[in-house]
Amino acid sequence: MSMSVWRTSAVSILSVAIVNLGLVGAAQAAIVDTATLVAPAREADLASIRAQLSRDDVRKQMQEMGVDAASVDARIASLSDRELHQLAADLQKAPAGGDVLALVGAVFVVLLILELVGVIDIFKKIPR
Amino acid sequence: MRHAALVAMHLAACTLCACANRGPLIRPNLVTGASTSIELESTPFFPQLEFQCGPAALATVLGASGASVLPGTLEPLVYVPSRRGSLQIEMQAAPRKFARLSYPLTGNLDAVLAELAAGRPVLVLHNYGIPLLPRWHYAVVVGYDAAKDQMALRSGVTRRQTMSARNFMRAWDNGGRWAMVVLKPGELPANPDSARYLEAAAAFERVSSPADARLVFDAAVRQWPQAAVAWIGRGTAGYRAGDLPAAARDYEAALNLDGQNAGARNNLAMTLMELGCADRARAELARIDTATLPPALMDAVRDTRERLAGAQPMRADQTSAQCTLP
Repeated sequence: MSMSVWRTSAVSILSVAIVNLGLVGAAQAAIVDTATLVAPAREADLASIRAQLSRDDVRKQMQEMGVDAASVDARIASLSDRELHQLAADLQKAPAGGDVLALVGAVFVVLLILELVGVIDIFKKIPR
Repeated sequence: MRHAALVAMHLAACTLCACANRGPLIRPNLVTGASTSIELESTPFFPQLEFQCGPAALATVLGASGASVLPGTLEPLVYVPSRRGSLQIEMQAAPRKFARLSYPLTGNLDAVLAELAAGRPVLVLHNYGIPLLPRWHYAVVVGYDAAKDQMALRSGVTRRQTMSARNFMRAWDNGGRWAMVVLKPGELPANPDSARYLEAAAAFERVSSPADARLVFDAAVRQWPQAAVAWIGRGTAGYRAGDLPAAARDYEAALNLDGQNAGARNNLAMTLMELGCADRARAELARIDTATLPPALMDAVRDTRERLAGAQPMRADQTSAQCTLP
């Protein structure tokens, strides 16, 4: 009994969802989104052509770079055409803000080596 | 020979320091309404985990604008594991998912101060490394003190880090002077620039709810009533919200400013058709010069035309008076 209630409600929810999806898609198709109009026509057009190419490229690169497959599409969806194209071009080399601590570590190692070699003498506790 | 080189180096170094020592860098009197010191103390703080300054900084600015998100939620949206960091473009894109608009600032200190004066903390990219070994780091500026010529930041694992304006500028220069703020729908930045705001708004529109998009373009229409794109954006938000008469009025306003705007005319035709005014819709569509249309717009126009072909001339419940917009 309760199983069939579940099934019935699941089916009805899903059908409503599917029908709505169809409607939203259909209603949006003929409306030109503002992003297409915000840049000069030619530029916007190039951007949208490139975006098609960039989308698959970015998806592939991101997965190779360790981004979880499940979140790749959500990330791509929030990018504008221009951002997508830009990202495809420099995903590998654009600045990636991460940490400052690593540098402090590197500086310390360099200082320590200089200290041990005897070039500097700033760590007074280290016997020469 | 060696001596000469040393002297030359010394001279070069002094030229540099002479350049650098030209008084304080923070001069808030140049910024309208900014006081000599500001600190947005209520800005939240999320100490970063390893390599996670991006999500932490983003959570900080989002939290300050009323969208409480934890860094852990943002990590899958911005962090790139093999780069051990987060990219600027994705930092800019992620706030849209939380109903916030990202607005990039121009790379000058006054723009940062002006945002602080408006009560908004500023997300910046710093580089503490050297050209060969860059160390990119996101931090959030929460205040400044002109008398001490220093900035206050939420950074890394430090809740309140103070930094001389000089050091701040050095790290910011090396980071390409990138900075952004996040805006609530309807909020304008301290120094609004129409092109930058509208581009940000258009990118926001794709992800946002119609209601939020409407607030965003409403602000644009009020600020730049001469910008056709602002009206188009508000029109489309109205259309998506199901407010067809408002959408039609906004598209018409856009066409009054820019009669050649095929996108606005196509959208107006679509809206009129759905209002039951197929004749008027056809008349609008016929005015589009399809010879010069770029492919992306051409597809939309063709689509609208096909829909119109099947539409009734005028729905029984519509009178011609209703199809004449005020």
